[in-house]
Amino acid sequence: MASQDDEFTKLFQDFYPGLCRFLECLLGGRAELAQDLAQESFLQLHRTAWGTLPVGEARFWLYRVARNLAINEFRKSNTRYRLFDRVVEVMSPTARNPEQEYETQERKELVLRMLRTLPEDQRVALLLREQEQLSYREIGAVLNISESKVKVDIFRARTALREKWTHRAKTVGAGAKS
Amino acid sequence: MKCECTEKISLLVDEELSANDAKEVERHLLNCAECQQARADFLSVRSELSAFRSNGPQVSLRNELAKILAAGSSQLPVAPRRRSFAWSFGPVAAFATLIIASAIIALIFVRSSNKQPPANSQVAAMPSPQPVAPGTEAKPSPEPEESPRKDAQKGQTKEPKNAPPAPSRRPVPVPTPRPGEQFALNSEPVGPADAQTMTATHFEKSEILLRSFRNVRIESGSVAEVKYEKKRAQQLVYQNMILRREADASGDVQSSTLLENLEPILLDIANLPEKPTENDVQVIKDRVARKNIVPLLQVNSAALARALD
Repeated sequence: MASQDDEFTKLFQDFYPGLCRFLECLLGGRAELAQDLAQESFLQLHRTAWGTLPVGEARFWLYRVARNLAINEFRKSNTRYRLFDRVVEVMSPTARNPEQEYETQERKELVLRMLRTLPEDQRVALLLREQEQLSYREIGAVLNISESKVKVDIFRARTALREKWTHRAKTVGAGAKS
Repeated sequence: MKCECTEKISLLVDEELSANDAKEVERHLLNCAECQQARADFLSVRSELSAFRSNGPQVSLRNELAKILAAGSSQLPVAPRRRSFAWSFGPVAAFATLIIASAIIALIFVRSSNKQPPANSQVAAMPSPQPVAPGTEAKPSPEPEESPRKDAQKGQTKEPKNAPPAPSRRPVPVPTPRPGEQFALNSEPVGPADAQTMTATHFEKSEILLRSFRNVRIESGSVAEVKYEKKRAQQLVYQNMILRREADASGDVQSSTLLENLEPILLDIANLPEKPTENDVQVIKDRVARKNIVPLLQVNSAALARALD
């Protein structure tokens, strides 16, 4: 039992931060909800599948459950969170270096805004590849889709983001000149 | 005009092409400006996404893990996850909520229009808002959307379709750990600025080394002159190990993975014989190319440097 808990501790230590980041991107920046869902995923793993799951599979299982939990959240009203998030943003204590914090926050929001424009399956596939460095085969296993769909989703997501970034760079460049 | 190879560039940056296809695409890349641009853009997308830092977890992982283990092993019914504003209020409460919400919107508007960095002392004194009052609602948490239709790999995944409702897991401030506590995890996902600076510099140095190694030329049948590269790799490999542990400990998965990929390459260069053959060098060069590590080092050091500016 102790060794199982040790293994679980190791798994948690290794993947909890990454799972939070994945969920935060998926949920459009709702960090607290992302933490909730990440913890819920680990809890479900511990309760239902831990011990029966092959060691290498736990990570994929976690991402699959986390993604499903996130989809459930999408389906509920998104709007009810917006006001609350805005309140937190305005009321939160500012960082020691406000300028740097502002820039970082801007950048993050830009990334999140662009990610939000992608269809959900493309966004998940791209995040699993770019942030979690899963292979196409592993992504296919997490999402229960074929490798060729993973390939197409990732390519489309990248192309869409690339176009948006280029468009934005042009707009910002034009704005700076005028 | 759209080059038909752009999709293969996406596969190339993901190392999902076979060795032969990768070579072919790399040859194509030499002559196709459009694909070169696509690769740069795809790597830039990667850099943006991997540089994304989560706002959480900000509280002690130790505490969260302890709660999960306790809740998981107790098998008792646990409290549901808290919801946002309580929509289940009666009409009077809903009206009161509306008035409060209007006041908050007005406050946000006033604060946004006069947004100036407040003095640190005032900021520190300002309390953070509590998301919701505990126990405002008692709905069970959702089940996962659906279980995957079939197991992708044999013998795996007992899906949590009928798992019991999960507990509230909102992070709570945690006091300093008591001596003898079971878990010793870090609370910060990102390493200290010093470690980030060192990692950025390390990436830069490694990139220069790998570029230099890539340019080592060997006449057929002769031995290569790699004294400088060997010595440099020996210096960098120890630093790499330390930084990797640091990145692991601070939960910086991106840097940790890149350092992990870099380490065997540095070791191989450091352990090259005094007079390596063409084949010895070529094997490492191929690995560097296959892992696409030079552009990754470049984008990561740039991203870290940007974050530290």
